[in-house]
Amino acid sequence: MTRSNVTHTTRQKLAAVALSLVPGAIGLNAVATNTAQAAPATTIKLYNDKGAWDKYFAAVGNLAKKDIGVAVQPVGYTNEDTYDALIDASFRTHIKPNVFTWHTGAQLQEVVKQGDLASTSSIWKQGIADGDLTTGVEKYYTVDGRQYCVPLYVSYYVMYYNKDIFAKYHLAPPSTWAELLQVAKTLKQHGVTPFYATDVLFSFLWFEQLLVGSNPTLYNNLESGKASYLSPGVVAVMKEWRTLIDDGYFTNPAITTAPQVLLKTGAVAMEPWGTWFTGNMKLVDAPPSSYGMFVIPPENTHLAKVPMIFETGPICVPTGAPDMSADMKFLKWWTTPAPESYWASVTSDTGADPKAAAPSASIAAIDKYASGPKVQVVNRYYEATPAPILNTALSELGAFMVNPNSYMSDLKTIQATAAQYWSSHSAS
Amino acid sequence: MNRLGWAGVLRRAVLIAAGLAWLVPIYLLVVNAVRPSAAFTGTNEWTLPSSFGLFENVATAEQASGLAGSLASTALYSIVSPALAVVIGALAGFGVSVLQPRRPFFWFMVAFGGAVFPAQMLLVPLFVAYAQLNLYNTPQGLVIVYTALSVPLAALVLRNFFGGVPPHLFQAAQIDGASLWTTFWRIYMPVAWSALVAVFILEFTFIWNDLLFGLTLASSNSVRPVMPALASLQSAYGGSTIPVVLAGGIVASLPPVVVFLAAQRFFARGLTLSQVAEA
Amino acid sequence: MARVRLAPRSPKPQVAKPLATAPFIAPAVLVVVALMYLPFLYSVYISFTSYNGLGAPRWDGIANYVQLFHDPEMADAIRNTAVWVAGGVVVPVVLGLGLAVLTYGMRHGPWYRLPFLLPYAMSGAGIAVIWGFILQPGGAFGDILKLLGIPGSSTAWLSYWPDSTLAMVVASAWQATGVNCLLFVVGLQAVPVAVLEAAEIDGAKAFTKFVRVTLPLLRPMTIVVVGLAIVGTLKTFDIVWVMTQGGPGYTSTTLATAMYSQTFVANSYGYGAAIAVLLTVVTGLASATYLKQQVQVGAAKR
Repeated sequence: MTRSNVTHTTRQKLAAVALSLVPGAIGLNAVATNTAQAAPATTIKLYNDKGAWDKYFAAVGNLAKKDIGVAVQPVGYTNEDTYDALIDASFRTHIKPNVFTWHTGAQLQEVVKQGDLASTSSIWKQGIADGDLTTGVEKYYTVDGRQYCVPLYVSYYVMYYNKDIFAKYHLAPPSTWAELLQVAKTLKQHGVTPFYATDVLFSFLWFEQLLVGSNPTLYNNLESGKASYLSPGVVAVMKEWRTLIDDGYFTNPAITTAPQVLLKTGAVAMEPWGTWFTGNMKLVDAPPSSYGMFVIPPENTHLAKVPMIFETGPICVPTGAPDMSADMKFLKWWTTPAPESYWASVTSDTGADPKAAAPSASIAAIDKYASGPKVQVVNRYYEATPAPILNTALSELGAFMVNPNSYMSDLKTIQATAAQYWSSHSAS
Repeated sequence: MNRLGWAGVLRRAVLIAAGLAWLVPIYLLVVNAVRPSAAFTGTNEWTLPSSFGLFENVATAEQASGLAGSLASTALYSIVSPALAVVIGALAGFGVSVLQPRRPFFWFMVAFGGAVFPAQMLLVPLFVAYAQLNLYNTPQGLVIVYTALSVPLAALVLRNFFGGVPPHLFQAAQIDGASLWTTFWRIYMPVAWSALVAVFILEFTFIWNDLLFGLTLASSNSVRPVMPALASLQSAYGGSTIPVVLAGGIVASLPPVVVFLAAQRFFARGLTLSQVAEA
Repeated sequence: MARVRLAPRSPKPQVAKPLATAPFIAPAVLVVVALMYLPFLYSVYISFTSYNGLGAPRWDGIANYVQLFHDPEMADAIRNTAVWVAGGVVVPVVLGLGLAVLTYGMRHGPWYRLPFLLPYAMSGAGIAVIWGFILQPGGAFGDILKLLGIPGSSTAWLSYWPDSTLAMVVASAWQATGVNCLLFVVGLQAVPVAVLEAAEIDGAKAFTKFVRVTLPLLRPMTIVVVGLAIVGTLKTFDIVWVMTQGGPGYTSTTLATAMYSQTFVANSYGYGAAIAVLLTVVTGLASATYLKQQVQVGAAKR
């Protein structure tokens, strides 16, 4: 692992100009970073697109400084799209992040193919041997047999529900799809809106949930370009979604009020989200006893395993990053139980370490169930779909939610983009 | 002139009605920024809050985003860049409209043409260029780009302003033996004072509110201006509640508002050309 | 005091050697060319390639431009951009002018102008949040309609065309009117006080005086205001992106948002650059045509 001299000079200049709030010198040789107690702490920059988590990263950074002598300075962006573009551009310059958050799926593969990521295979090997990492998650971090990055967080998609409303109408969390529809019907009869419709950014959510609930294989084929958006299975999903919308089971997708507020006030009874949403509920001071989570039952009762949508965010080290050994040390440390537990407690979500303490009993239960044998984990649409197709799909699915009768033309538009993409990229 | 006839009353009535209509969104902004964060339900946005939560919301916003730290650098960019741009734009406006070079319109369009490019298109090329020139994440880098962004408007306004100034002013200066520079700096600039200040204030506000360039061309909280910090409050992944976002927005927007208030006094007392002609 | 003739006769005599003018014009030209034209040229190059942000761009010839003409999203984008220019230029300029004339010279004039100036001080994203708030179904706008007994109080204004674009044009005009008013106030300072006084006293003929005398004297500032409005509305991005992201579907997309989504969301840098070039050419032509025409009209009247 080499460091370029140009990077050194730039880092010195950046440090001199930018920050005086970083205590201690910027370590420039490997020896300093290896002996945490003897030498001053190295500071590494953690570029991320979760700008709202700045204070969490800073808190973890303090822990890292104490534990391994590596301090972390978060560089947060809130706009995911420009963040991605800048990271892509940074690979061509000498302004490289020490570590940065990224995405699994097609974006991971593309960056690996360019040779822009440092491999973390040894960390994974060790982690799996120690029980800190699981093979179930590993496959999302593997490209051509080698591993890259480590998981920043792992979330499973479940249905959040308002316990008070359920109690009021004597409803219990459903364990089958039929029960779920019955719950929705009952709520509707009492004038409560059952489901949250999501905004454009998450317009894929119901699409994906309905599709994997009926045919997860079709979903995986769709994502790898082997199936078309006009397949009968996909069309059937849209028709079903339309029926649910026409029955009035969804909120108006044009509402801009934050979903956590809607759930807390009971404007809606159920919302599908990743388990990170618990943090959102905490932000609006929703009492923990007023809301709960249940696993969304699949519509297709003949499936061997229950499909759950899974979202994982990697933290990665680019090739040629400054302070490579400090960066790798940080990644390795991240996979151990203590930081994972700490992270889980501040964000109310799960990390990838099964040995880490979960933030609550309910999340622990979900985690255990999801990593168990009864569940088939599927990657989230947002990561699994190539960018051009995703762009069109988000837009068309958003249009569908406003006008459900347009489903065929929406699917055709998405398929047109998909066909164009897969014709120039081999279906994997 | 201050007789209040029916025309005067009607005029005032129209202005007051229009002004109130314009203030409705601001009312919503203020009311919901004052509302305690937990009391916001999404359906009660019109009602006056029962308790005063503005300071807590501001504190939460500051804690979540660290925006106080960026106020100083934002002030630097918003004052230095427009000041530079106004001088550069006035120079160009003077050169194009008073000095009569060949093809004045062409050169003017070159300077003004900078306004034509969409900002997003400049982001990635500038990022790469800044990285290579070691301007990335430096205050001077941001000052340079903000100045460039402000020059087109300054050039437009000043070119038109100077074009309306009577040429005998210039001829008188020439007869007096003044150099071109002295003519510009000592005679034309003072005449354009109100236009210069108007442009400065507009640019001050524009740069203060910039999000994209600060986000792209800088990474440290101390170099980045305030809007990127504010933007971190709004995110699907654990963003803050509406009252906190609005409260942060109010604090971050306070300086431009104050500047506008101060400028109002100035404009009322501005110079007119007829006064200049007398001199 | 002699009446000042504000518009010089043409042709103007050559007043300075061309070389002497260079140092005046050069700084502006240099800084704009370096920071803006050069990146633009890079984008022009990219528009002839196929590029996803990683690795090297692949030369594609005019494929992106061909796609532009066949893409239904582009038809929507051009249509909406045209609506934006029409609405976004006319409404704020006329309102701004009206407000400037009404408040100019009034006692407490600055205070009457204040409500209109406050919105300009807000950031584009802040405006979008507030108006998104107002325009959502069951939001504040719907409440007002209900109060006034006008139907449509539960309409999702931002979910359908043309309501979405029109609503956003209104939100944008709300912000832009104040600035135009401010600039017109500065422009009115170039109009001799005697003209304005006469117009005020002479009630019935005030409007004619306004059109025949004040407006022509305001020309320099009108050029600025309209020129900026043309450029500004063509480039409008923040409000549309935050409120609707150009959706649902592509119904509210404009050239600016299409450029952004193709470049940064779809990672089709080449196609996004082609849209950017198209947008820039349109904006450049529109502003150059308008400004040139104004210069000629002004010269003819001298």
